Amino acid sequence: MTGPGTGRARRDKVAMRAVAKRFGDVTALRGVDFTVAGGEIHGLLGENGAGKTTLMNVLSGLYRADHAEIAIDGRPVAIRSPADALAHRIGMVHQHVELIPSFTALENVLLGREGERGWLHLDRHRQEVEAVARRFGLAVPLDVPVRTLAVGVQQKIEILKALYRGVEILILDEPTTMLTPQEVDVLFATIRAMAAEGLTVVFITHKIREILTNCDRITVMRAGAVVGTLEQAAAGEPMLVEMMIGQRLAGVSVGPPPGAGAAAAPAVLEVRDLVVGADQAGRAVDRCTFALARGQLVGLAGVAGNGQRELAEALVGLVPAAGGSIAIAGRDVTRAPVRDRLAAGLVHVPEDRIEDGVLPGLSVAENLMLGLHSHAFKDSRLFDRRAAGQLARRAIAEYAIVAPHEDAPATSLSGGNIQKLLVARAMLLAEATGGAIVVAANPTRGLDVRATEFVRRRLLDFARGGGAVLLVSEDLDELLQVCDRILVMYRGRIVGDLPRPAFDAYRIGALMAGAGAEGPARA
Amino acid sequence: MRAAGATFPRWAPALRRFLGGSLVYLGAIAVAAAVSAGFVVAMQGDVLVAFRTIVTSSLGSLSGIAQTLNKISPLLLGSVAVMLGMRGGFINIGVDGQIYLGAIAATGLAFALAGTGLPAAVMVPAVLLAGTLGGTAFGAVPGALRARWGVNEIFVTVMLNFVAYYLTEYLSTGPWNDPVSGEAITLPIPAEATLPMLMPQAGAHTGIVLAVVAAVLAALLLSRTVLGYEIRAVGANPRAARGGGIVIPWITLVTLSLSGALAGLAGAIEVSGYHNRLILGLTPGYGAIAILIAVLGGKRAGGVAVAAMLVSILMVGADSLQRSVRLPASAGFVFQAIVVLCVLLVEARSARRR
Repeated sequence: MTGPGTGRARRDKVAMRAVAKRFGDVTALRGVDFTVAGGEIHGLLGENGAGKTTLMNVLSGLYRADHAEIAIDGRPVAIRSPADALAHRIGMVHQHVELIPSFTALENVLLGREGERGWLHLDRHRQEVEAVARRFGLAVPLDVPVRTLAVGVQQKIEILKALYRGVEILILDEPTTMLTPQEVDVLFATIRAMAAEGLTVVFITHKIREILTNCDRITVMRAGAVVGTLEQAAAGEPMLVEMMIGQRLAGVSVGPPPGAGAAAAPAVLEVRDLVVGADQAGRAVDRCTFALARGQLVGLAGVAGNGQRELAEALVGLVPAAGGSIAIAGRDVTRAPVRDRLAAGLVHVPEDRIEDGVLPGLSVAENLMLGLHSHAFKDSRLFDRRAAGQLARRAIAEYAIVAPHEDAPATSLSGGNIQKLLVARAMLLAEATGGAIVVAANPTRGLDVRATEFVRRRLLDFARGGGAVLLVSEDLDELLQVCDRILVMYRGRIVGDLPRPAFDAYRIGALMAGAGAEGPARA
Repeated sequence: MRAAGATFPRWAPALRRFLGGSLVYLGAIAVAAAVSAGFVVAMQGDVLVAFRTIVTSSLGSLSGIAQTLNKISPLLLGSVAVMLGMRGGFINIGVDGQIYLGAIAATGLAFALAGTGLPAAVMVPAVLLAGTLGGTAFGAVPGALRARWGVNEIFVTVMLNFVAYYLTEYLSTGPWNDPVSGEAITLPIPAEATLPMLMPQAGAHTGIVLAVVAAVLAALLLSRTVLGYEIRAVGANPRAARGGGIVIPWITLVTLSLSGALAGLAGAIEVSGYHNRLILGLTPGYGAIAILIAVLGGKRAGGVAVAAMLVSILMVGADSLQRSVRLPASAGFVFQAIVVLCVLLVEARSARRR
């Protein structure tokens, strides 16, 4: 697993060489080299799925790489577990806070190190924890349950926990995702103070602005490989966007919407000033306004976690709208339950097919009937197995679902076929209700090339057949390829609305990364 | 799409699953039998005599068969009640309480109708219906609490069991008490309110018929109606079900109410068919056994019926063990517990392998 330290590695705090990792058929890292100098703040930038977190999970012992040569302070080491990583003074703070909510900060920090023959000596350790907190400028209240604290404070406690364990190399995975702008400022002040104290920090993010203003050096990853490492002074926003997104081919396989009439088609879905989640954690969706017209396939671009999922769920009725309005064909459905929206012709392909989509244990046919069942059997209230079976056989043939037969349990299908099943379910329901709108959330995630093409083709056909499609996707290439129009979402707001002639990967990428001219108010 | 349906007959995997599943249960029963045999030997009893006693006492005579049939009806209804809840993802621990409430409602109506001169053809269905409604009401409480405020139905049903038990104690020792008995027993209900007999000499009442009909109806409800489909969808994946427009609070209320209804009917049958009055101890923990049966039966009506029958044989037979091999009657419960533990172990293992 380890190789001899190179001459270069002597001044490097961490040197990783030829790191390779596969998950089944997916290559996450293809021979990555990555070095961090002692005492620097090193930004690790890339799109979702570029391999940033996987690389750092290898360093922190969470994943075991298929191949890796790692040297710390020039000495080759083997890291097989988080405990190994900690022994080499490497610690990672993950994207989502992993504290015990009912414990105090002190109890959380001491968790796992409190033991002395079974006795808990909180007070004996308090002074040590306070000393670490003072040294790194991490002022946190130690004696209240952490659930009562803001997310930014909780994150500081996570950092304090790592530092108390003597970590010298601190990895922060997307630490700003859950934070308000003010909390982000405080976090960076803390990180700078820690670096001044000699701590080495690796900062994983997809946000270009944050990395430009706060990191000493920046490494950009794309598709499981390092694109390059830059000094802060040498890096600029356009350059980073290009490195991050890459040269994109405008591989358009889709023509523009037919006829000029399409542009004049009436809006079938109108969303006005929609707000989701008005608690202190901020608004997941912040005053979004847009409309979908029949015949249009509209993409919703954005980096994961910028409110797309919440927007889709609010449209379908799975999460309540805290403000604004949603109208289907002129009828207000802002407060309508899911069932009414389905009946009004708004159907949904959920983002998480296992968590939100499939009914495990029920058959393929029964899975296909979900939603449709309340229309198809409205009069008799009897579940007609023969009718369901017929429909299922048709769908299996039409959507090329690989299933032994329609009575096979849905969970016996592969992931791609479950996804086709969910797409078929949405389309059948749209047909049955004279459906107007399909909201599809990352419908091609994890699918192979053929299944991906198939799903895209289906959505496009639906739009060309007179429906409206909102395609939520984190894959910008996909959106550029099939959409008539792209909305860009950043921090819960729609920061861009571009018709096909104005498609420009660089511009959209910049908007997605929050570098748009009309960026959201940071107040 | 390959025509896979032609090469793989659709019943083949189902048959394999059935055989595999049956083997699991048979294996569990075999292991439990072996362990129980060990117990019998440890108690210096004769294993063969013990097993023969169980079978002959429960099935070897008409009166034995009658006893077994009478035992099946509350067990089958109770376990179908539990099964229905489980299919919707709810754990109804309150079958005992719902049986008591069904029994109270049945007894109360029987007393109220006494002396009205109504024929049995009116009185019996009315009494059974009252019991069913009593159970429904008692199931609706945890249903409503969970539907409205997300209160865990396990806690509510456990607590309601105490309410029902002490309510029964109050009624059977207080206002409805039979003063001659000196026990927690009410006066008998009028003869027109008692269930007709199935085997008059041997003493089997027609409750078994009602129980089987109810089990069949419950199975049809689950497999052939929209409501049953929605219950199963919620049980399989509530998030997906919600996305399919299913109103989860409504399904919660309906499922737990129906579950209570089945248990309430069991209570009414015990009163109208067996005891002919309300007594404290009407259910010797049928609710807990019903959970075991529902698990043992694979949460399917057919399996539950077979399991309920086996458990009834065991319960009736275990009563005779004391006489023949000087084993305590509770040995039957030990055996059941071992069977269920084995089934759960094997199920947990195969679930992990999947």
